[in-house]
Amino acid sequence: MDLYFWVFASMSVLAGLFTIAAKDALPSAMGLLTVFISLASLYLHLHAPLIAIFQVAIYAGAILILVVFVIMLLMAPGERLAAIQANVSYRGSGALLGMCLIGLVLVGTKGVSDIVSMKALPEGFGNPSMFGDLFFRDFLLHFEVVSVLLLVALIGGIYLCKKKL
Amino acid sequence: MASLTHYIVLSSILFGLGTIGFLTRRNALILFMSIELMLNAVNLMLVAFSNFMADMAGQVMVLFIFAVAAAEVAVGLAILIGLFRHVREVDITKFNVLKW
Repeated sequence: MDLYFWVFASMSVLAGLFTIAAKDALPSAMGLLTVFISLASLYLHLHAPLIAIFQVAIYAGAILILVVFVIMLLMAPGERLAAIQANVSYRGSGALLGMCLIGLVLVGTKGVSDIVSMKALPEGFGNPSMFGDLFFRDFLLHFEVVSVLLLVALIGGIYLCKKKL
Repeated sequence: MASLTHYIVLSSILFGLGTIGFLTRRNALILFMSIELMLNAVNLMLVAFSNFMADMAGQVMVLFIFAVAAAEVAVGLAILIGLFRHVREVDITKFNVLKW
């Protein structure tokens, strides 16, 4: 029985359900944030610390913030949510859940080094240095193509936000 | 120790949830988040296979999916804001100018 897996797996599934079932878009975004964090914890479990960091930094830190920003811009959820936020038990349960999450991540990261995988992993598997070696040697062309893709997306985003489309 | 099967089942469940959300919801922003959920399910599958087959190429692929997701969100949200300027609505059933 792998408690670490089951806790974060059930958390991600419940938060995923909440994401697609929530009435408003903003609670839905918070559910998605919980999915991202629990998946990052599972990545730590799978010897991918760098991907876990990127998951938090790029998905939770950049993509989700952009989505929340647009939700705030387009839907003005403030008035509807103000009534919910005034409820003290709602805030209290939120704080409790957040504290539980931090505790779980701390316990989990402490135990990650003890985990033994099915197949014997090579020395330094999942190291950022090994990752970079693979990324900038075997996948150099892919890396360049992706950088062009990001540039195109950047230009497209700027063009689409022009005042007169 | 959770086996590869556990991760495949979890990833399939998350992907299914994303698909259900995408097909049933009408709020365009929630549709975006459902797509993110599906991309994350695929990422989890790649990382799980990378771990159980001791091949780091899977993790590199996840990084490429991150880049594609970032580009998708940037362009998609820009399109959504452009649509919102015309229709003043995020309900996708209201975007029916091109409907036959």
